[in-house]
Amino acid sequence: MAGLRLCLPLGALFEECVDALGRAGVDVAPLEAAGRRLVIRGTNGTTFITTRPSDVPTYVESGAADIGVVGKDVLLERSSDVYEVLDLGFGRCRMIYATLAGDDPTPRALEHLGVVRVATKYPVTAMRHFAATGRQAEVVKVNGSVELAPLVGLAHGIVDLTATGRTLRENGLVEREHIFGSSARLIANRVSHKLRAEAVDELVGRLERLAAGTGR
Amino acid sequence: MPDLEGNGGGASPLEGSALPAGARDVLPVEAAELRAIEAALTATFAAYGYREVMTPALELAGVMDRAQEGGLGRAFRLFDDQGRVLVLRPDLTIPVARLVASRLGDHPGPVRVSYVARAFRPPPAGRPDAAEQLQAGVELVGLSGPAADAELIGLLVEALRRAGLSGLRVGVGDVSLTQAVLEALEVRSAARVRLGEAAAARNLVAWRRVTRELGLAPAAAALVAELPSLRGGAGVLERVAAAAPAAAGACARLERMLALVDAHGAGAEVLLDLGVQRDWGYYSGIVMEAYAPDVGSPIAMGGRYDGLAGRFGRPRPAVGFAISLDLLHRALAAGAAGADALRTGLVLVGGLDEELAAARTLRARGLPVIALPAGDPSAEGLAGAEGWRYVAHREGGGFSLLDRERGERLDSRTLEEALPWPG
Repeated sequence: MAGLRLCLPLGALFEECVDALGRAGVDVAPLEAAGRRLVIRGTNGTTFITTRPSDVPTYVESGAADIGVVGKDVLLERSSDVYEVLDLGFGRCRMIYATLAGDDPTPRALEHLGVVRVATKYPVTAMRHFAATGRQAEVVKVNGSVELAPLVGLAHGIVDLTATGRTLRENGLVEREHIFGSSARLIANRVSHKLRAEAVDELVGRLERLAAGTGR
Repeated sequence: MPDLEGNGGGASPLEGSALPAGARDVLPVEAAELRAIEAALTATFAAYGYREVMTPALELAGVMDRAQEGGLGRAFRLFDDQGRVLVLRPDLTIPVARLVASRLGDHPGPVRVSYVARAFRPPPAGRPDAAEQLQAGVELVGLSGPAADAELIGLLVEALRRAGLSGLRVGVGDVSLTQAVLEALEVRSAARVRLGEAAAARNLVAWRRVTRELGLAPAAAALVAELPSLRGGAGVLERVAAAAPAAAGACARLERMLALVDAHGAGAEVLLDLGVQRDWGYYSGIVMEAYAPDVGSPIAMGGRYDGLAGRFGRPRPAVGFAISLDLLHRALAAGAAGADALRTGLVLVGGLDEELAAARTLRARGLPVIALPAGDPSAEGLAGAEGWRYVAHREGGGFSLLDRERGERLDSRTLEEALPWPG
């Protein structure tokens, strides 16, 4: 596993990601002492690159990193040209369509307006979901606090990721449609997957046994 | 556009020379390097008897769409004066297949053709992909079997070597072997389609999920799950043949090909890798990808597509590859270190007028001469900007010559005497 450049997502997946790598035998101690550095040299020639989750596929696709960990939600939104190597089994959550509690405003919007207005951080996913179900949607891209949009009348509903549904409930929203289930994936650059095959295979093998052992 | 900071009123003077997304200019240093790479590649193609062809940049969309299931995908499309839809060729394989089928239909075969040309693809939103890609490639039409495949792989390795690439690896997979194994294990055709989609998307998670849902016996299921991770040499093929005897023929063919690749002198660079998979609807045999260190995408791709020529009315087996010159150039630039050497050439003050005769004599002997008017004071500045090694001007009865590489100044009666001539 020597000499690999690993791209890790800051935020929700970070802790579990470091934990999984640690249990797979990667020396993650340098990460714990990293402070605010973005590139951290590990032992054995390993390099850790930390970045926001939606940028992980970009770094891996370009070859700036060999391997990356990222949610399936980001992969589906970005359709990057990388190998999707392994389902790591953690970071489980669901992509859903939600509207305000009470009567679902969606059928009424479609009947009278012809379109339903949807706010989301995942415009590609939202477009695909509504197109696949034969409904017209006007997708509004927002960058955070999606739950706000239906509360103030910006949109009829939202397409977003939820793990426990708590944020939805606290904002008076209910899930109407389940779009797909997501979890953390190990991805590999197309060239690294071949040129550094041994190192990649060793890490994948160890992570695979871990994922299988935790009873997916 | 709102002006945020500085820049007071007027637009930047450079704003008027913007380019479309994905388009870029090539400046002299890069152009010279690209031409040198191109020359090395085409010389290798020629040494194997591949003859160059040129196809038009514009093709009829209907003809190009015929080549691929589901149409061409991303392409620049436009109309001609009769309302027909045209495309700027998004790749070279399909136009060359059209050319070979329609213009060389009565060629006794095998047909060996090469090309160096630009392919055009609109870059996806928010990505830095180039809209124009310079490609050099070959097609071998009319020969099937492991020997033809091996020639192509041997030629690819030799061409990239001659271009100066080190650390090259070529991964070779085989779509027909993968299919033969699945057929031998009696995997239903609907499931094969789903596996094909997973392979083309390089999604190993989906591949294993489909495998689990097949309901195969444990040994067969393990083989299918592992197929995209199998790589190595003949040992891999023996294993596959033992587990799926009906695929033994395909394994033997591939084994023969690897032996021939070895005889081509390319054995060290080439690795059998059943994880190299491409669109199963288009490729029908081997598929290959060439990798260089420090470049994140394959620098060359190719394979066998025996069904393609038939779509243009003249069915013949065909195998080919295309090298991306831009990616190959990036790989070579990553490997190069240190300052660039000065280029052999002379900036001659007065070469445009008073010393024209001297300029002609030197050019006739093969030395590039960059001519300036007599008395022009910018000679050294020009030599510095363009990287020329020599600068000379008239001094008394002779010339004063500056060698910028050695930092020496030399006076002599004629320039021919002063310049070191090779050989």
